[in-house]
Amino acid sequence: MASLQEPLWLLENGNLKGPNKEIRHHGRTAHNKSSSSLRKKSDLTLVSKVRCGLLRQFLTNLQEVFLGTKLSVLFPAIPLAVLAQSYGFAREWVFALSLLGLTPLAERVSFLTEQLACYTGPTVGGLLNATCGNATELIIAIFALSQHKIDVVKYSLLGSVLSNLLLVLGTSLFCGGIANLRKEQKYDRRQADVNSLLLLLGLLCHSLPLLFRLAGAAPTAETTDPTLQLSRASSIVMLIAYLSYLVFQLFTHRQLFEAQEESEDEDGVSEEEPVIGFWSGLIWLIGMTAVISLLSEYVVGTIEDASSSWGISVSFISIILLPIVGNAAEHAGAIIFAFKNKLDISLGVALGSATQISMFVVPLCVIVSWIMGIKMDLNFNLLETGSLALSIIAVAFTLQDGTSHYMKGLVLLLLYIVIGACFFLSQTPLNQANSGLKIPPETIFRV
Amino acid sequence: MAELSYHVENGESNKGSMSKELWNNNGSGRTAQNLSTSLMRKKSDPMLVSNVRYEMLRNFLSNLQQVILGTKLAVLFPAIPLAIAADFYNFGRPWIFALSLLGLTPLAERVSFLTEQIAYYTGPTVGGLLNATCGNATELIIALFALYRNKIHVLKYSLLGSILSNLLLVLGTSLLCGGLANIKKEQRYDRKQADVNSLLLLLGLLCHMLPLMFRYAAAPGVLVADSTLQLSRASSIVMLVAYIGYIFFQLKTHRQIFESQEEDDEDEEKAVIGFWSGFSWLVGMTLIIALLSEYVVGTIEAASETWGISISFISIILIPIVGNAAEHAGAIIFAFKNKLDISLGVALGSATQISMFAVPLCVVVGWMMRVQMDLDFSLLETGCLALTIVVVAFTLQDGTSHYLKGVILCLCYTAIAACFFVHNVPAPLDQTSVKMGLKPPSAFSA
Repeated sequence: MASLQEPLWLLENGNLKGPNKEIRHHGRTAHNKSSSSLRKKSDLTLVSKVRCGLLRQFLTNLQEVFLGTKLSVLFPAIPLAVLAQSYGFAREWVFALSLLGLTPLAERVSFLTEQLACYTGPTVGGLLNATCGNATELIIAIFALSQHKIDVVKYSLLGSVLSNLLLVLGTSLFCGGIANLRKEQKYDRRQADVNSLLLLLGLLCHSLPLLFRLAGAAPTAETTDPTLQLSRASSIVMLIAYLSYLVFQLFTHRQLFEAQEESEDEDGVSEEEPVIGFWSGLIWLIGMTAVISLLSEYVVGTIEDASSSWGISVSFISIILLPIVGNAAEHAGAIIFAFKNKLDISLGVALGSATQISMFVVPLCVIVSWIMGIKMDLNFNLLETGSLALSIIAVAFTLQDGTSHYMKGLVLLLLYIVIGACFFLSQTPLNQANSGLKIPPETIFRV
Repeated sequence: MAELSYHVENGESNKGSMSKELWNNNGSGRTAQNLSTSLMRKKSDPMLVSNVRYEMLRNFLSNLQQVILGTKLAVLFPAIPLAIAADFYNFGRPWIFALSLLGLTPLAERVSFLTEQIAYYTGPTVGGLLNATCGNATELIIALFALYRNKIHVLKYSLLGSILSNLLLVLGTSLLCGGLANIKKEQRYDRKQADVNSLLLLLGLLCHMLPLMFRYAAAPGVLVADSTLQLSRASSIVMLVAYIGYIFFQLKTHRQIFESQEEDDEDEEKAVIGFWSGFSWLVGMTLIIALLSEYVVGTIEAASETWGISISFISIILIPIVGNAAEHAGAIIFAFKNKLDISLGVALGSATQISMFAVPLCVVVGWMMRVQMDLDFSLLETGCLALTIVVVAFTLQDGTSHYLKGVILCLCYTAIAACFFVHNVPAPLDQTSVKMGLKPPSAFSA
């Protein structure tokens, strides 16, 4: 049909390729750009054979959403996971299949958020991305809270921060350094500085309850635990900081965060026209979020069984495995942009994610648990907080000069491997009833 | 005579707006601290005094007006006689505490003014030295009184709180207000000064952490109190040597790094009161500060119990806010005018002075008085100090500023204040069991 030809052409062509003009402020943060590199052009021939126009549009929509990513090979894992749960297969299979199913879903949610941002304008789009950018981690955390597995929450959020800071950033810098050995790699250090500063504030808010607890403040029976009060107050402080960061990023100092997209020839993902409609995008988003919730519930419910049957500690699964899954799409995107020597975007992805989790998701969980009456505090115990502190200091130091080379990436990667080894060997028993693990301090302070 | 009176009666020639470049003219030892508190001055009203007939009386009254009324904080001066009356007539002890605190605020500012006036007569170097030692006279006097009364925890808390307040509150509000007021401009400052101060603060941090870790690393059962004390005393001497090196650096060899960028019109090269009158005022005010500090240190427990706030919160948060109020306001005003070098000089210079001069001085004085004061400020406090210094050093190391930096520093201070608000440590009054809430490692509970 000729009249429908043009919009259909746009729909069917998926993402327009070609040279990328200067990107308007569609709320496309570095986050969005990186995962967009995983998109692929939809195959038109399959759909164009369908006769009826409406059906064709629907199928195009479906194809766009489901097959528009290279990760869509993992989509079959979702029905398999649901099957495994309902037919009572071995629990670790449910766990593994749910994890695999979450990977493409996280990417699709990011895609849909970006599409919606094209309609809503840059500021709301940026806000949408700032809150939903880590939807998977947030949903897993809230489910773990509702099942009273507070240490799973803490571990998974900590692991997400560590994974973003060390693994994603390290592999990006490493691959980018190797691919651009001859060129000088520069990035704008002001963005990195702001993120490092926020992470240091988050570190302070985590350290205070830990030091408080180590200094011997025992909770008395009749009064509220002071560590808990302090954690709740600190969470409000962290949320205020995150709000100011959003105002800073989206309103007053926008120019610091604009991605450097002046000329781009091959990966021309100009997404100034959305490829699906607003309402269909919204419906898909809600649907996918519901599926993510379902899979997250499976994951949280079966984590102990998977741990005991595979012989790996729960801390390792929460800190290392879960975040790798949740971050897979961003990770791949960050590496691809680093290959092209566009380090600002890689840094924006990795640091922005880490800041979002540390300053938004973690305090939000504390506040949500306050509302739910669960005693979650910011005390992540000595080993975890120590790893976090050293990671933040290492990353802040690495990024403070504005240039990069592969050695920086290698060092960050090795840091991650060491921390991973540490948690692999840490066989502390899982204590679900109260607020977290206790590592006896005598063993640490003994000479 | 008339000309002299005219100069005296006109008060300060600045109207609180801008100052000329001072160093090159006669180098009157005006550091950033002096500049900032000069903003709190106001021009004295000559009309009142010129009505009085006798010139001697007129001079005396101008002098009085200059000293007592020459600041916007003069409204708080009545708190001083009230505090003395409260103590004499045995009002509630919390009242004595509150009135003494209020009375200390203008006194701290006046001492800074007098120090600056005397510096005109003594030349730049001695003036700089005077400022370096008396710049934080209030904190030093409170600390010495607490030492004398064996309230080591109050001493440690108040000095620590002073450092934290300077590094986070004063600096944070300055950067925040400056950033909001100059949101379109780029704000730059010379990072060399900030670097030197950060380095000294890190040395101080090391000297604090060594006794702390020493105590933790000891095998259980081994008494280390003696060794920690000796280590603290040796470290204090090291810190004092570092501070002397810093003074030498700042006043002699690398003066140009610390010169404030003052190219504007007004000059304050004339002192407004005579040398001997300034000196006697200084001695008198120091005595009053000593009296009020004694009240403060004596009534702090009673105030804490009555108001239901922990002693650590009062010492770490309330007392430093009072002692720093004048500098604080000055630093904010200079940040509004985009003169960040001065704000940084005030905040960082104060913090360095307390950390590297006041604290080791108290240890040495305690050594002479046979009081067991060491540098071990216990885990929570030292942890806060470490994180603060790291955050501030990182914030200032790139030479530019925006309001988000100020927001984050203020929020850090809020988090630390919340921590000490919920920190209910019983205050032991005898020196042998002062642990500030630190139980031995075997009693860790969670």
